[in-house]
Amino acid sequence: MPRIELRNIHKHVLDGLTLIIEDGEIVALVGPNGAGKSTVLNVIAGLTPYKGEVYFDGKKMDDIPSYRRGVGYLFQDLCLFPHLTVGANIAYSLRVRGDNGAAIAARVKELTKALHIEKLKERYPQSLSGGEKQRVAIARAVACSPKILLLDEPTSSLDSQTAKYLRAELGGFLRRMGITAVFVVHDLLGAEEIADRIAIIHKGRIEQTGPPEIIFFDPGTEVVSEFIGRPNILVCDRCRVLSSGLVEIVSGDVRVVFPYEGNMVERIAISPHDIYVSRTKPPGPTLNRYQAIVTNISRHRSQVRIGLRIGRTIIAAELTDSAFDEMDIAEGSEVYIVIKLRRLRYVESKAKRHLWPESASEN
Amino acid sequence: MTFKRLAIAFSVGVFVLYAGLILSLFYFYKGPLFLEALCSPRTLFSIKLSLMTATAATAMSVVFAIPSAYALSRYSFFGSRIIDTMLELPMIVSPVALGALILIFFNTPVGSFFQERGMQVVFTVYGILLAQFITTVGIATRLMKSAMDEIPVRYEEVAKTLGASPAKAFFTVTLPLSRGGIIASAILTWAKAVGEFGATITVAGSMAMRTETLPVAIFMRLASADIEGTAVLVLILLVMGLGLLYGVRLLTGRRSYV
Repeated sequence: MPRIELRNIHKHVLDGLTLIIEDGEIVALVGPNGAGKSTVLNVIAGLTPYKGEVYFDGKKMDDIPSYRRGVGYLFQDLCLFPHLTVGANIAYSLRVRGDNGAAIAARVKELTKALHIEKLKERYPQSLSGGEKQRVAIARAVACSPKILLLDEPTSSLDSQTAKYLRAELGGFLRRMGITAVFVVHDLLGAEEIADRIAIIHKGRIEQTGPPEIIFFDPGTEVVSEFIGRPNILVCDRCRVLSSGLVEIVSGDVRVVFPYEGNMVERIAISPHDIYVSRTKPPGPTLNRYQAIVTNISRHRSQVRIGLRIGRTIIAAELTDSAFDEMDIAEGSEVYIVIKLRRLRYVESKAKRHLWPESASEN
Repeated sequence: MTFKRLAIAFSVGVFVLYAGLILSLFYFYKGPLFLEALCSPRTLFSIKLSLMTATAATAMSVVFAIPSAYALSRYSFFGSRIIDTMLELPMIVSPVALGALILIFFNTPVGSFFQERGMQVVFTVYGILLAQFITTVGIATRLMKSAMDEIPVRYEEVAKTLGASPAKAFFTVTLPLSRGGIIASAILTWAKAVGEFGATITVAGSMAMRTETLPVAIFMRLASADIEGTAVLVLILLVMGLGLLYGVRLLTGRRSYV
């Protein structure tokens, strides 16, 4: 599977974009609307004229038309051919290539089985659900074993549960096939679940690329930091296992307990949206709950970011305008906070697991 | 009266207008005369000539219109707007004027050369074909362009990413998807060709048993004050035209891909 290289691409909002995708890699292009994500895919596919250079394994592709580039493309709106059955849609590229009937039938059978859509072969796209259409579109895109697969927001039209399931399946499928893939998402969550590497694109330029944990824990620029939501990064001073599947980390004066089965945690990241703020003490156990002092308040668009001091540790929470206005909070106010764990991220340490303090007993 | 009823009333009004005109034919209907006119060699020749020339002219129009419509629908090129405007020519210029244009052309050195070395067009069946073709090809292109505009370009892009050349994408995706619109356009083109009169009589004349199509025969009957004969031929044209149109519509049906 080829290495893709884009050099100094100029098209619409793309402003000298340069990007390398290694052989067999799955890269997610993430960025706000209008950043140029779909345009990058169209340039790779040769569907739009552009200035700059595109290479597949060192071979210049600029003069090669889209239908000879061997690039599969899963469009955001899927665009299954409505006049063809599911089977005929999947077989389309094989018929174009001139494969014989038996080979086509075998390949269609293989793909429909792999994607669990065997029973849909004789149906027309109009009668399929969103998830079924997505699978058919994937099968159609990979039927002739493309060297490269491009996916434009492959799960955007699905409900969150189906999207999550399909992302997991898609990631496994792509790795089994060993396809070099580039896919576009507009948020990090979708990217993290599949991608080997994430490229943050902003105003037509790549701001930063790297594995998901690097993007999240070491944002290279203010733009990237802003895009990922400026999470609270807590460096773990100490880490211990409380019981099977539960770990406690201490960072400054903050202690966080969360589900974890691994070696040792080096850093955790908590989204500011996952810090629940209240003027009154919330009911329930005291785990992951603190009293804090508001250190600063800043407004940005319809969000309010609040700096909170817990002892020596400062973290940030983000609320909507309306939620904040209802609370009557000012700098210096005492508040209660609850740390929610739903999107907690962590980076594991390469050091061996150890207990602290060495004289304490393990729970 | 509700808005719905008012709208329906207008459509019924249009129907009543046409139906009233058709019914007035029966004032001059005389049974034996109808059969005599229908079975006369002259009438049968006119019917056969109209059907053959209209069908041939429609086929020629469709052959030209499909690629032209595709180019105008999909590509932006120098002169496309001028070409697009020119498609309206048959509607802006009366058919008689179009026929006059054709006659004038064949009186130029180029046109004369063509008639001398190629084939005689003026006052022949080929003149009928040419007149019907020229009056319908613009309309056919316009109608088919509208049909193709309805098909998202994205389908062709998908086809290209699946290895189809532009031509292959056209034949395997765009054409099948716009099939209904193209057939409807062809039907309307054929109807226009069958009823074509002005350009036909100007270019091909009105020679009985040679270039007398059904609309021309109607005019000739009327010109000789033969109201009964005119009514018969109008009725034949109506039954033939409307009947075939309705039948084709029933056969082709409407398949929605939405």
